[in-house]
Amino acid sequence: MRVTLAMKPAERSFIPIEAEAIVPKNFLAGTDISVWRGNRELRLDEVFSVSVEGDADRPEDVEVVLSGDETFRLKRVGEYMDGGKIVVLGGIGMHCGNFMSGGTIEIHGNADGWLGREMAGGTILCRGDAADYCASGYRGGRKGMTGGTVEVFGRAGDFLAESLAGGTVIVHGGAGDMAGAEMHGGTLIVHGDCSRPAANMKAGSCYVYGTAHGMLPTFKKIGAVQHDGRTLIQFTGDIANRGKGNLFVKDYRYLD
Amino acid sequence: MSELLIRNACVIDPLRGINAETMDIAIRDGRIVEEVSAAAEVLDARGMLTLPGGIDSHTHICGTKVNFGRYMSPEDMRAGRTPRRGPMHATSGYSVPTTYGNSYRYSAMGYTTLLEGAMAPLEARHTHEEFTYTPLQDTMANTLFDGNWGIMEAIHDGDTKRVAAIIAWTLTAAKGFGVKLTNPGGTEAWQWGKNVSCIRDPVPYFEVTPAEIIRSIIEANELLRLPHSVHLHCNNLGTPGNYTCTLGSLGLVPDLNEKRQTLYATHVQFHAYGGSGWKDFCSKSEPIARFVNMRPQIVIDMGQVMFGRTTTMTADGPMEFNLYRLHHDKWSNHDVELETGSGIIPVLYRRKNLVNSIMWAIGLELALLTKSPWQCMLTTDNPNGAPFVRYPEIIALLMSKRYRDAEFARIHPDTGGRVPLPAIERELDWHEIAVMTRAGQARALGIQDLGKGYLGPGAEADVAIYPIRIDETDPSVDYQKVIEAFSRTEYTIKRGRVVSRRGECLVDGSNATFWVRAKVSDAYDMGKDPDFIEKFDRYYTVRMRNYPVQEAYLNRNRCIETEAAI
Repeated sequence: MRVTLAMKPAERSFIPIEAEAIVPKNFLAGTDISVWRGNRELRLDEVFSVSVEGDADRPEDVEVVLSGDETFRLKRVGEYMDGGKIVVLGGIGMHCGNFMSGGTIEIHGNADGWLGREMAGGTILCRGDAADYCASGYRGGRKGMTGGTVEVFGRAGDFLAESLAGGTVIVHGGAGDMAGAEMHGGTLIVHGDCSRPAANMKAGSCYVYGTAHGMLPTFKKIGAVQHDGRTLIQFTGDIANRGKGNLFVKDYRYLD
Repeated sequence: MSELLIRNACVIDPLRGINAETMDIAIRDGRIVEEVSAAAEVLDARGMLTLPGGIDSHTHICGTKVNFGRYMSPEDMRAGRTPRRGPMHATSGYSVPTTYGNSYRYSAMGYTTLLEGAMAPLEARHTHEEFTYTPLQDTMANTLFDGNWGIMEAIHDGDTKRVAAIIAWTLTAAKGFGVKLTNPGGTEAWQWGKNVSCIRDPVPYFEVTPAEIIRSIIEANELLRLPHSVHLHCNNLGTPGNYTCTLGSLGLVPDLNEKRQTLYATHVQFHAYGGSGWKDFCSKSEPIARFVNMRPQIVIDMGQVMFGRTTTMTADGPMEFNLYRLHHDKWSNHDVELETGSGIIPVLYRRKNLVNSIMWAIGLELALLTKSPWQCMLTTDNPNGAPFVRYPEIIALLMSKRYRDAEFARIHPDTGGRVPLPAIERELDWHEIAVMTRAGQARALGIQDLGKGYLGPGAEADVAIYPIRIDETDPSVDYQKVIEAFSRTEYTIKRGRVVSRRGECLVDGSNATFWVRAKVSDAYDMGKDPDFIEKFDRYYTVRMRNYPVQEAYLNRNRCIETEAAI
């Protein structure tokens, strides 16, 4: 089943739309779904032109396609998703794929903050940039992402994969400050530069194929290793947290 | 004039000696009366268990410490969110909920009066402001005196009357209700980076011992004729082998009051540990309970631990630091100038953990081994042992040996050799539960004269009607029914109005705060004492005239005046 949701242009386009109901599973029972704009509940067809092709009886067979110029206003798309596919032919708002445990989300544009926060499984592909707190945990929480894969082809913002506890996060561009902060499991790979990677890490592996700026002094240098055809410098830490994580960087620079 | 008649209520009212009698309760204008007119609204209780409104004599629900627990644990705010509904505000939080969350959840369980366990006088305004937004319960606050500089100096000089005078002035200024000692002397020593190990260790600089503080403040408390006794959190909380220290502290207590106990020892579960370290940690509930059984001047509360996530918060700063070193999670620490301090950390009590399993057993043992229910109150030291929403489970555990055995089979397998719990056959009855959750608490707090804790004419019309028929329910078998019934009242009536029905709160409510003004002679009025004023201006960051909480901070202001003997 293929559900196409073409977003209608709105007058008051600055108000985000809370669309946690847009999950493949929910479309098995039809399109009688509502979303929220502020404190107003809206039917799906008030926001989108809805069209459905074919039918399905399991979430895995449902593909939801979101299109339109303003898809970046949609928040919480794919929250708690457990199967199927969501394709966004544009940007997406905050908290896309929160807590997801299965299925695929593919975003052709940029993703706003908290992409794939606390996800447990499944795959998120973001062809553009991801903003802050991509694949991270949440305020006060001890465990962030616990499984699945997040792959960003552009850049990621600050606090990428914060509190990472499992799964894999790959960023093909650079990342901002505090990538992999508080991580205690899983794998984080940043192809470009980032700053202060893996602060306070306890376990897990963090790879930086570019330069680690503001490298933390609380990591102990082990030596050069070969990884994936690259020569990287291995560190262990964060000693400040009695951590036993592995940090691999191509190049690093301490703060002056 | 509003009138309400509750018909066919199966009443247990221990303060009036009523045990499971079917009767009607007449209410006019918020008070219980002999009879009402035919125009009264009638509420048919259909034989359901009807008790005076619940009273929690030791809980942490309002104030700076609780609020810091809220903002250092945003993850707790994500657990237990409810949207706005009717007159109910949105709530969030599990172990440290919003004030409305506390109020609604307590009300659903039939609680109508709460005592905040520890209020630092300097930060009293915050507590009173939060009381205002705890609309469905009457509130009062125990006020901290464990590290008060003026008091320690007076104790050093052997001047008990001056101790009493400072307490009287501070209680009135803070609009406090009772005297709380948290690790007496220890929190002051913590400001020097130290602690006191037990009651004979001197406090740095002041050179007084916790034993002197406890004894002197007990005497001062009785000189002021305060409704409640001294409320003591003993030294050395949470360390293996601390039961000897607890027994030593309890041994200091003379019998000075005919109407109530002379000492209320709180969350004794945390103070009843044996062993020389965590490896041979064990329960010492038996010697503690035996000691309490022989001394009517002492009342304790359980401080029961239940498994799950919660937040610990206390004015006992050094103890929280030790806990932090065990858990390595978040920690907060506060210093309150010339008065006290505090610490907060989140914890998770786990069944698989031997120490936690033993702690769970000790709380229950204390309640079961203390012969008189009037001497052991049911609490969790909310939220330290567990959030108060777990009370119904505790009630069921105390009423059912079978439930205890079923739970015991699920905890750490080595617990059996360390605790006496499996050998205890006692099952509490409905009357004893009523004592431990309302009547006993009213007496211990000294508020039955204000119309709390009973259902006779003249009493405040605070009533809890539980959807259970005690003639048809065997609590030792149907413990699940007991849990359900105590989790959600059929009706909770506060000041003559139905405020909560089957878990839904029906009215916005309006809290009343009880506080105490002990009238002392002019010679002991600290507001005019040059030495006291000088010390105040010299050491406090606030001016003395800005320190007292104005009455405008109290929503409904219920001042209790006492004639002090000084």
